[in-house]
Amino acid sequence: MKKKSKLFYIQLSLTLLVCAFLIVPVVLSVTAGLTANYIVGVRSGLTLQWFGKVWELYRDTIFRSIMIGLVCLGCTLMLGIPAAYAMVKKQNRFTRIFEELLVTPLAIPGLATALALIVSYGRFTDFRKSWLFILVGHVVFTLPFMVRSVIAVMNSANTTQYEEGAASLGAGFWHRFFHIVIPIAMPGILAGSLMVFTLSIGEFNLTWMLHTPTTKTLPVGLADSYASMRLEIGSAYTIAFFIMIIPLLIAMQWVAKPPRKKVIPEKTELSTDLRRTTEMEKNALERNPIPRDRGREPVSGTSLRLENCSKTFPDGTQALKPFSLSVKAGETVVILGPSGCGKTTMLRIIAGLETPDPPGRVFFGDEDVTELPIEKRNVGMVFQSYALFPNMNVAENIAYGLKVRGLGAAERERRVSEMLEMMKITELRNRRVDQLSGGQKQRVALARAIAVRPRLLLMDEPLTALDAKLRDVLRAEIDSLLRSLGITAIYVTHDQAEAMALGDRIVVMEIARVSQVGTPREIYFKPQNRFVADFIGTLNRVTGRVEGKGLIVPGGTIPLEGISHLQPKAGEEFEVFFRPEQAEVVGPGEGHFKATVAASFFMGDHTRLLLDWTDASYLTIEAKSNQVFRKGDLVEIRIDPASLLTLRT
Amino acid sequence: MGRRFNLYLFLLMVPGVAFFAAFFLLPLARLALSSAEGPQGFKVYLLSLTHPRYFTTLLNTLLLSIAVTLATLVISGFSGVFLTRNQFLGKNFVLSMLTFPLAFPGVVVGFMIILLVGRQGLIGDVTRWLVGEKLVLAYSLTGLFLGYLYFSIPRVIITLMAAAEKIDPRLEEAARSLGASPFRVVKDVLIPALVPGLISSGAICFATSMGAFGTAFTLATDIDVLPIVIYTEFTLLANITTAAALSIVLGLITWIALSIARSISGTTVAAAG
Repeated sequence: MKKKSKLFYIQLSLTLLVCAFLIVPVVLSVTAGLTANYIVGVRSGLTLQWFGKVWELYRDTIFRSIMIGLVCLGCTLMLGIPAAYAMVKKQNRFTRIFEELLVTPLAIPGLATALALIVSYGRFTDFRKSWLFILVGHVVFTLPFMVRSVIAVMNSANTTQYEEGAASLGAGFWHRFFHIVIPIAMPGILAGSLMVFTLSIGEFNLTWMLHTPTTKTLPVGLADSYASMRLEIGSAYTIAFFIMIIPLLIAMQWVAKPPRKKVIPEKTELSTDLRRTTEMEKNALERNPIPRDRGREPVSGTSLRLENCSKTFPDGTQALKPFSLSVKAGETVVILGPSGCGKTTMLRIIAGLETPDPPGRVFFGDEDVTELPIEKRNVGMVFQSYALFPNMNVAENIAYGLKVRGLGAAERERRVSEMLEMMKITELRNRRVDQLSGGQKQRVALARAIAVRPRLLLMDEPLTALDAKLRDVLRAEIDSLLRSLGITAIYVTHDQAEAMALGDRIVVMEIARVSQVGTPREIYFKPQNRFVADFIGTLNRVTGRVEGKGLIVPGGTIPLEGISHLQPKAGEEFEVFFRPEQAEVVGPGEGHFKATVAASFFMGDHTRLLLDWTDASYLTIEAKSNQVFRKGDLVEIRIDPASLLTLRT
Repeated sequence: MGRRFNLYLFLLMVPGVAFFAAFFLLPLARLALSSAEGPQGFKVYLLSLTHPRYFTTLLNTLLLSIAVTLATLVISGFSGVFLTRNQFLGKNFVLSMLTFPLAFPGVVVGFMIILLVGRQGLIGDVTRWLVGEKLVLAYSLTGLFLGYLYFSIPRVIITLMAAAEKIDPRLEEAARSLGASPFRVVKDVLIPALVPGLISSGAICFATSMGAFGTAFTLATDIDVLPIVIYTEFTLLANITTAAALSIVLGLITWIALSIARSISGTTVAAAG
């Protein structure tokens, strides 16, 4: 225990002094309300007679305050939540002005607001004399608190991802509003409600101006009792008020505390049995990647056709240049590209979350779905952030799309069990979403998307948020799932290994445009341009002068007979490319050129060599792992002439 | 997500906007107009501001509010930072004591001050026992000052504690590792980091003190602060134009204070009470 400084004691005494300043009067009022004679003190004996007097004189004010508070709460809920949602969703000049105006009742003293109401509506005598007049004042005063509390939660919970998730499962606007938005905004609604009720109960500035002798509220009654100069009754009444607000204060603190999240460790993540099968599958895939075993079940997906789809955002940036693509039923197409290249935009156009610029069209089979919103397209979508509904458990999440489609409880139950079994997460059925690990969430998200038997499965970087090992396992699982279901799938990723492993075809994207479309083999071995070649795998670049049928490079000559489609002229500067595994280290006299080892990395199954080439560049070569190299060794390299590439920039 | 979506959003906005316009925006506009309906027209603003009684009142209210704001910020700053940084026995108890008065309306606060420094108050008894004379502060500007302090301290402490919690303690450690004395750490690290919180909670405190009515009403109806004057003009003298003009002036002052605070600190702030 370290010694407390002088400063600590100064601050402590100040804090305790403040505390005393705040609490001593409270204690005084409590004793005054409970003792027979305030002047004499506790010695005069404890009594509840003052409470009796309060009950007799002021009970109507207490009931009226509670009634006004509750009705006021109801009004702010009905007016405030929809307005808050609209303001979060639609950020235009009108909503911004309204948001600005909405805070003014907080800045303007209640006295002024009350005067304004009296001046405008005071002549409607019946209204003026009823408690409704006070109610209106309270709603004006408390509405901003409700709206701001709800807006804050909606913004921080980012309801958009859940709405898109729900829409992808077929939920329409009102369904999303009542079943997704409101439950998610519940903490804000609850906090706002407590605030509104407490404020309404204690409101005095407005109420004093608005009340009439027959519509007194609790604070008005308190003011009356204080003015009556009978300290005991005033104190007893104050105690009654304390008793009313204490539960409200406690509830407010309880609501403000963030819920404690408890993630149950990944015991169930990979049962050993499951791990064995996925490992086996993975190995099998690596040994024999293409062609793969086609589906066990008949193809259930639809074909997809994009015609001249482009996307320009309202601010004028073109996220996507016009492109066309057809995807066969049952095919898996991976959209691959660096971040910000427009691949997610492309997926959102297919999903129906964005509409392409005219005249772009989207077809599912022969049906033109361009104008259909996502909830009418019958697609399944898996989001990078999973977008599992936090207000539902695992089974409810999976059943959600089925419920929206009006399936009966028994059928839903059956389908959910089937999905849980398929994803091997049966034991997670009743878990809350915040108790799941990343991998488990991903499985639930997949199950939820597949449960509705979508025409098309769309996946937006579904594995990016997971760690490397889990990613490999889930990748293999997704692959076998896609194969066995025979579903048409579009998969977006920035990870080339994922693209190679999963795609029947890969769409490689550069900034806002499609660079190449082809099978993984085509993309790897016949890249059409430098961007694709650079993006996928490692590529060596060699420049030299053409002489006869060879390219003169430092340390030797590379034969050019493999390049048939180009006729390099003698004496010309020429550029060729090759991949690390297409060159080998050979014995003296067998190679095309010599180079010095700059570094070597033992990788287990092979050794990666960096060779000094020109001043600014190295060549990367894969050598067999049983050879040992040292920095400075001179090695001879032989290149497979047929594998040399020439590329457009 | 097209036109239909926008239509639904519009439908959701309509009830809230309609209510708000009918019962707040229009009445306020009406109030502004009715202030000019008297014989003097818009000159009523000039007259009410130059009239000695109203002018002193406005000055009184402004000075009182500024004094309350500064005192509250200093006290709450010390206690708030202390409470976030230190653990001690009974801290939670102290915290709940500090936050209990949060929900008190102005009238209750006024009563608390009466019990503390009123005619039969505790402090009066103590001073009579000590020096033989009763100290009574409640029914004056001092009482009002204490009342507003009582009202503001819990709110400001909560805001400042939240702000202090967000400060990375490593910043202070870094400053200390560079040789800064405790005083310099406070001046160079702590206060700059607290400035947004100080500005926004200070503005709330100021606006609330300007417009608060209940405390002054409970303590005495003859303290010359703006809300009380507005109330007397309206109810007792039936001088609607002056009352309207003064409340517009009062509303403008608090609104401007909060807007300035908002533009500096970047967060929405609101008066309470």
